[in-house]
Amino acid sequence: MSELHTPQAGEDAALDDDVVALLMRQHGDIRNLFDEVEAGSGDERQEAFRRLVRLLAVHETAEEEVVHPFVRRNVTAGDDIVDERLREERSAKETLSALDGMDTKDPKFMPQLLALRTEVQEHARAEERYEFIHIRRSADTSTLASLAKGIKAAEAMAPTHPHPGVESAAANVALGPVAALMDRTRDAVRKAMGLD
Amino acid sequence: MTFNPLDQRGIPLDRQLRNWRELNVKPIDPDHGDPYTRCRIITMNGIEVESILFSHQLARNTVDPEVKRQLAEVRYIEHQQQKAVNWLLPGVSSVLETTIAYEQVAVDLTAWVARMEPDPYLKQAYQFGVLEDFDHLYRYANLYEMIEHRKAESIVEGLTEVMPGRPTKFHHRHPTDNVRDPYDTMRTDPLSKLHALTIMSAEQQTMNFYMNVGPQYMEPIARQLYQEIGLIEEEHVTHYESLVDPGETWWEQLVSHEYNECYLYYSFMEQESDPKVKAIWELHLNQELEHLHIACDLMRRHDGRDPGSVLAPQLPDVLTFEPNKGYLRELLDTQIDLTTLGAGYVQEAHERFERMQEQIHGGEEPPSERVMAEHDEMFGREYRIETEGEHPDPALREK
Repeated sequence: MSELHTPQAGEDAALDDDVVALLMRQHGDIRNLFDEVEAGSGDERQEAFRRLVRLLAVHETAEEEVVHPFVRRNVTAGDDIVDERLREERSAKETLSALDGMDTKDPKFMPQLLALRTEVQEHARAEERYEFIHIRRSADTSTLASLAKGIKAAEAMAPTHPHPGVESAAANVALGPVAALMDRTRDAVRKAMGLD
Repeated sequence: MTFNPLDQRGIPLDRQLRNWRELNVKPIDPDHGDPYTRCRIITMNGIEVESILFSHQLARNTVDPEVKRQLAEVRYIEHQQQKAVNWLLPGVSSVLETTIAYEQVAVDLTAWVARMEPDPYLKQAYQFGVLEDFDHLYRYANLYEMIEHRKAESIVEGLTEVMPGRPTKFHHRHPTDNVRDPYDTMRTDPLSKLHALTIMSAEQQTMNFYMNVGPQYMEPIARQLYQEIGLIEEEHVTHYESLVDPGETWWEQLVSHEYNECYLYYSFMEQESDPKVKAIWELHLNQELEHLHIACDLMRRHDGRDPGSVLAPQLPDVLTFEPNKGYLRELLDTQIDLTTLGAGYVQEAHERFERMQEQIHGGEEPPSERVMAEHDEMFGREYRIETEGEHPDPALREK
């Protein structure tokens, strides 16, 4: 039996008219990429890790630009909810920066990756349970759709498939390109949401 | 070495209470553990829930306040056991993730019991039921990929195949056709009693779980699928509970419950790969041995009978979680088109079955079919794990 491939959010044929459903699928995509990094070895692992870092960067940036501001503005005690999520995000980013630039063959890589995985997973479920639930409660269908549009614009910034040749293993995952990617993502989201 | 729980003494009851620190168990890793460790946890939770609910029913049917107090004392410990066991499940798991694990339990536990069951009528009951759990696993796996973009493979890890069983839409039978004939408590193999109690408890827990978590979903297809499969769990509990001889006294049933808990904790202790979880099975076995002695005393006092007369002389072979792929494929090949009529099984769709089908479906496709259509719209394919080749039934191969 050939291995089934689950496409990433935005690449399946879902309508993507609900920001929460879209982000939940993206949480699954991130979890899938952790599996891929763990299962791979050598260059394959390095390359999967690069895609994971990019998706994490784009996903978190999109949430910061689209989801958190909506919750701050529209949900009672929204500031507290968002501050708690940002605290989790910061902690995960610290773990990520310890990993970033590390050779995936480094013996310290896997323990750090598993620590990151735990933090990211706990953060994702906290978002789903304590933040997204308020979005669905307080947003009408057209708002859910327009927020989804912002997320979709961000997704376009994270290539989901390996591009052999374009980025060789030697090019490595450096903080610089990731930071730049976050900036580009932020611009794309703002443009899509008409905030520019 | 043979293990006879009646010959063993456990931890005295007044030393069984755990404090908060001891109850605060570390959950299993959602992504790296042995899938069968999770299956054992889910099974034992179902067993403890049944023991608690049974004890409550018994207490409500007991006049003697002294006995009520005795039951309350043991029940409180059973409840602590339930907390320690079920809290091994990680908080980061989603409801659907846990649901798929529940269905893996239903498939591999029921298949194992069907393989080991000595009584042919009871064996048939498990063979019939397992093909339905098998189909539920397949439907939920497709829903899981739609909602969370995750594969059921990441949960069942190649131990259990995911493909169509008896199609869920055909599980909706007239309720009277879900009632089976009971075994005869005087003649049946003691192992058969343990099997019936185990599967009934597991299905009851699944029923309770779906009836409570189903409405937590907001996606219409998820809400509806939990409703549909939740109603089939009602049918399964009816199916399995009717196998148990209603002539057993309350005290005899209490002894059976405690004995079965000893049997299962012992079985799981023997095969557990996670040392922290194994320690819990061992502790709970030592607690259950004492609960069993208390139950035996109650039976002697109230029934004037020796509990040894209704129990096996020693524990049966351990109940084991292991892949049952070949066995399930054999059943898929031979029993997929069965339904029930009265207490028996038939191949043709009889009048009462057809009337029920017409009424419940109301001329529309049920959620278990729509979930496949919606999944296909989203991915242009189904989700299956067929590790042993194509589906044995040509009609159920992916088109």
